[in-house]
Amino acid sequence: MDWLANWFEKIEPKGKLSWLGSTYEAFHTFAFTPKSVTRQGSHIRDAVDMKRSIIIVVIALIPALLFGMWNIGYQTSIATGADWNWLYMWWFGFLRMLPMIVVSYLVGLFIEFAFAQVRHHEVNEGFLATGLLIPMIVPVTTPLWQLALAVAFAVIIGKEVFGGSGMNFLNPALVARAFLFFSYPTHMSGDKVWIANDLWGTDAIAGATPLGELAAGMHPSASALDMLLGTIPGSTCETSVIAIALGALLLLFTGIASWRIMLSVFLGGGLMGLLFNAIGYNEYMQLPFYYHFLMGGFAFGAVFMATDPVTAAQTNTGKWIYGLLIGAFAVLLRVCNPAYPEGMMLSILFMNCMAPLIDHCVVAQNIKHRAKRAVAIGKEAHNG
Amino acid sequence: MNIHIKKGLDLPLDGVAKKQRIDLRTSVSCIAVKPTDVLGFTPRLLVAVGDEVCAGQRLLVDKHDERIALTSPVDGIVKSIVRGEKRRLEAVIVERDIAQKNTSEVINHTNLSTDSPCWWMIKERPFGCIANPDHHPKGIFISLLDTNPLAPDMQYVMQGRENDFAMGLHVLAEKAPVHLCIPHGYPPPTTDSAIHIHTVEGPHPAGNIGTQVAHISPINKGEYVWTVGAQDVATIGHWIATGEYRPERIVSVGGPSARSPHYYQLIVGSQLSLICDAQLINNGYPALSPSSTNTTRIISGSVLNGTTVASNGFLGMYDQQITLIEEGDHYEFMGWLMPGLKKFSFSKTFLSGFTGLINKMSVPALFGNIMPRYTFNTNLHGSVRPFLFTGQFERIFPFDIYPLQLIKACIVGDIELQEKLGIYEVEPEDFALCEFIDPSKTEIQSIIREALEVLRKETI
Repeated sequence: MDWLANWFEKIEPKGKLSWLGSTYEAFHTFAFTPKSVTRQGSHIRDAVDMKRSIIIVVIALIPALLFGMWNIGYQTSIATGADWNWLYMWWFGFLRMLPMIVVSYLVGLFIEFAFAQVRHHEVNEGFLATGLLIPMIVPVTTPLWQLALAVAFAVIIGKEVFGGSGMNFLNPALVARAFLFFSYPTHMSGDKVWIANDLWGTDAIAGATPLGELAAGMHPSASALDMLLGTIPGSTCETSVIAIALGALLLLFTGIASWRIMLSVFLGGGLMGLLFNAIGYNEYMQLPFYYHFLMGGFAFGAVFMATDPVTAAQTNTGKWIYGLLIGAFAVLLRVCNPAYPEGMMLSILFMNCMAPLIDHCVVAQNIKHRAKRAVAIGKEAHNG
Repeated sequence: MNIHIKKGLDLPLDGVAKKQRIDLRTSVSCIAVKPTDVLGFTPRLLVAVGDEVCAGQRLLVDKHDERIALTSPVDGIVKSIVRGEKRRLEAVIVERDIAQKNTSEVINHTNLSTDSPCWWMIKERPFGCIANPDHHPKGIFISLLDTNPLAPDMQYVMQGRENDFAMGLHVLAEKAPVHLCIPHGYPPPTTDSAIHIHTVEGPHPAGNIGTQVAHISPINKGEYVWTVGAQDVATIGHWIATGEYRPERIVSVGGPSARSPHYYQLIVGSQLSLICDAQLINNGYPALSPSSTNTTRIISGSVLNGTTVASNGFLGMYDQQITLIEEGDHYEFMGWLMPGLKKFSFSKTFLSGFTGLINKMSVPALFGNIMPRYTFNTNLHGSVRPFLFTGQFERIFPFDIYPLQLIKACIVGDIELQEKLGIYEVEPEDFALCEFIDPSKTEIQSIIREALEVLRKETI
């Protein structure tokens, strides 16, 4: 690969073109890990860097993405009565997802590059994960122009105005989804948006999600096993708990995502579900608590959204509190607020806002006991 | 008290020194006294080039406190005075004079004061500067355990100096309570009841003084502790017993680029050219990797917090190891995507994390010997980014401190918050592992050092 390395060194923008430095740097470091060496402090460094960490998240998303593509085809074939084999179902879904992924990356990366260029910063790789997450959590029928608007909003308002990756306080992918949710509510809820049957013009075919059915006061028609496997209507890639669990395993093994957050989200949701079981006021409250883990975006949110390290609580104790409350609020919203069938997105966004406060309180405890120690020693010295 | 450290990381570097000493005490002719190694010391020169000096004679005194001095380690002649930018005094180089004999008769010193040529060996925390004789430390901490990568085995290094060491402990105990940390299961080197003995076990940074102080008696604002290297305690003991100032240092020389790693007996500040000539893999040896320029970095100290020196440079005043490691100034194609069987990472994001785990579960018999030999070099392995990931530092930082929050307080220069978060309990070296594992490649040790320097100058 020496020729490529030499070519990169040859085309390095200098003089009049040196303002293109950020763009050049982004492509150069994509192709080659830089040859920069340590200058001071620790002379050797861990092999992991931001690119590697983010790419692990992208790899963890792949099982859910592949399953989601197949499920698009599967749901459409059920809705239209078409007799497709599994490969064609997957191909159908792939063709539906591909434009969404391309649009998301193109719009998002263009904005990222532009901001990096203006600020003379290096382009941050954080969007590689965000750009894939956004098309995975919206309905398959979302028009591309809406998706583009949502991505632009998420990257600019959700991230760049605060200074870019690492400075934002809201999860950008969820900002995009919230933008769509509140701006185009008719495209984001109801029974008709979850199945890619718009090509046939057969609007009448129902594709209700379990959450939608529950919000309407019905018992979910899908079985728990269907929901575990993910063969139900829903946002493009959030349905299969098994595919999400595969990604979760990778994230936990590599240590990229916090096991404390993941575990505590499920704990919080489970405890809230049990509490409602005990009250048992209506059918929704009587729903077995583990149904909440299987329905909607709960599992996807717990594994990929709540664990976003930038917007989560940063202290270990804080992570427990943060996760427990996300799970609890998500179930609370689902059961008690019929206006929003899905509570996970709002719950995570709400706790994103609360995370700095949680951390502040946790760190304050540490400060307090250090101060106490100093006072105790001071008294001792005084008495002695 | 037994200190059991669980949070930490031992780096599996190649090139551990063989237990074999080569005596270079009389072979090395040039020896440097480097005021730049001694924090908080503003040098004023007392000698000129060509002056004859004897071991223990004052060469430099501190401008702010003339009681504190740096002394000549050997009998000889001042060969040169090295100045850096803005005429900053960097080193006084003394050429050993073999013919000249120390004629002074045996004097028995009874206590350690600033008059002693050994005073500079005592460091003070917070800040890690030279000890202020007016301060009353709440303890003097000495560690007989060094857990840095490729660090010398202190048990081996102290062999034959037990009496000097015990004498040194005894005289230090007159200044303040002495806390001696020894490895778990190691026989106590002294029965003196004035010495508090603690046992320490666990991975690096268990051997760091900062870790030990934090577990025994953390430093509060306004408190001081003194620390002395174990080998320097023996030097102090020897000086007390015989009146002879002989600052010897047994150093381990190792690292992936060392030809035959073993121990050397040196004088503090010895020139390293003899060692480098013998150890550097250069001519006749195959390059470590074809794309590398195959240069070697010479580090006085450990790979985690040592100082880069030239091949004709000098041993640092407080260092007890030399590490030789390949410069990693080469590109790697798609490095972020490669499986990385030979890459060492705390994060398990490379295949090496998986094979390492298999090895740990002691099932390599099933897979054969797939445990890789990691390649370590000085490459940064990535570009500098803002902090994104959290919770990593806490896994290897055995202090009751929130590391990320403290680092951020240091970056923004919020002194009040730094104090609240425990800045006085740490030194840059305590953050060395955080800096090593940090995926955003921030220079954490310099951030901490700069913050501490601001505080130190405010305290003066």
